[in-house]
Amino acid sequence: MAIHVIHHPSSYRDPSGFIFEKEGTVYRQVNISFKEHFDHFIQSGCYKHLVQKRWLVPHEVINENLTGDSNYYLTLQPEKISLISYPSEWSFDMLKDAALLTLQLVKESLQFDMILKDATPFNIQWHDGKFIFIDTLSFEKYTETPWIAYRQFCESFLGPLLIMHYNKQHLQQLQLAWPDGIPIDIISSLLPKKAKWSLHVYLHIHLHNKMSLKKQGEQSNSQRLPRKKLLNLISSLEILVNKLKAPVKKSTWSEYYDEASQRKDYLSQKKKIIQGWIAEIPNSNSIVDLGANEGEFSKLFAEKNIPVAAADFDPYCINNLYNTIKAGNEKNIQPLIIDLANPTPATGVNNKERESFLKRIKPDVTLALALIHHLAIGKNIPFEKIAEMFSSISKYLIIEFVPKEDEKVKLMLARKNDIYYLYDQYNFELAFSPYFNIQKQEVVGESNRTLYLMKRKN
Amino acid sequence: MIEFHFLYIDPGSGSYLVQVIVAAALGVAFFFRNIKTYIRSIFTRSPKKKNDNPQA
Repeated sequence: MAIHVIHHPSSYRDPSGFIFEKEGTVYRQVNISFKEHFDHFIQSGCYKHLVQKRWLVPHEVINENLTGDSNYYLTLQPEKISLISYPSEWSFDMLKDAALLTLQLVKESLQFDMILKDATPFNIQWHDGKFIFIDTLSFEKYTETPWIAYRQFCESFLGPLLIMHYNKQHLQQLQLAWPDGIPIDIISSLLPKKAKWSLHVYLHIHLHNKMSLKKQGEQSNSQRLPRKKLLNLISSLEILVNKLKAPVKKSTWSEYYDEASQRKDYLSQKKKIIQGWIAEIPNSNSIVDLGANEGEFSKLFAEKNIPVAAADFDPYCINNLYNTIKAGNEKNIQPLIIDLANPTPATGVNNKERESFLKRIKPDVTLALALIHHLAIGKNIPFEKIAEMFSSISKYLIIEFVPKEDEKVKLMLARKNDIYYLYDQYNFELAFSPYFNIQKQEVVGESNRTLYLMKRKN
Repeated sequence: MIEFHFLYIDPGSGSYLVQVIVAAALGVAFFFRNIKTYIRSIFTRSPKKKNDNPQA
């Protein structure tokens, strides 16, 4: 009797297999049609080699047809990925490293007569402090034909990186607009003329675009591309990606802690209070630090082996945090670009293919430090809506109230009309009271800011 | 936290013909680059080998 198992909503494109969930565990079914490629992938040693390099997620083989599907060949149970993220939430250097990982996988798998059959950033996820490739069924036998995922690589990785590099702007939103890659003609038109002087840009983007405009009939799938020439193509992409640099303009908040630390005892007192509270919260096994800036507070918990998702709307801060994590081999912090006034929405087919940020994130504790004024005054979001949002994220909330008398708030109000007559501590507590019970509160050092530990009402 | 994995996105047209042409152009470019590197190596001393182990 066939067992009813639901495919994951994003797992419908590849006929080689699919992802499904059963009793809270995620599995990947390999279909019988992909047997030849998958057997070669394992028997050639390619899988073992890539797992040893920590480039591919390891799996266990489950010798059981859990789906009852007649196409079944094998069931795999991959190592758990704690928090799925999307390329529009990654900083420039994160996307760059994901691109380089994809090219490395092509080169390494060629040694085993295999090649990647797709090149999408969605196949790369954050795992134990670095990016890792998660689609075990993306490797197929190499047959001296051109790389089927070349166009996809140019549109999903190279294009967004080039546009950000040449325009000196962080433009992650482009990947939200075009999740399957920015069309090559749009990439070509968004690049400045000087980009054509780079041989690699000219070949992979402009010539690529010109030839794509020709009639489909002139494209032939019977083309051959010897291994050496394919490796030249991959080397050229690698040379180009390695040359690209993240926009370096400083943002308003990138030196926040330098300034904040000058205030007497403020940071050290704040850290002491929060560390004490976290230790008292039962089962605080994962944290999301919203408005994390460059992760000063995320690091406190990462050091204690608690995984932290460090989210901030500022791509410069998140890029700096990523590079710090990379340099220090920090395993417990996952950097994310998230604008809480417009968090990543659910997208794709039926709006179910990719979940919204608020659905994906399920931490035990939320940190919202020095954030409330940015949402309430910076973005005009009423306290009630902010409280509702936080109550949807986690059971425990540590939130800092920053009063109007605070220098940072004064600075914000100097640039706009003060229409925020409800912005005070009384109304803040009143708005949060339908959603949370206040368990603790404490003024931070000699500042006028107050920290709250709140627990969600049942 | 969520544990779903995302996978395959149809790469669509692989731009086969353009790869053949791009690879041919790169073959020429890399050929001349190698000659340039070789000539440069004749006129410049090879740098002393660095110790790879900074702890040593």
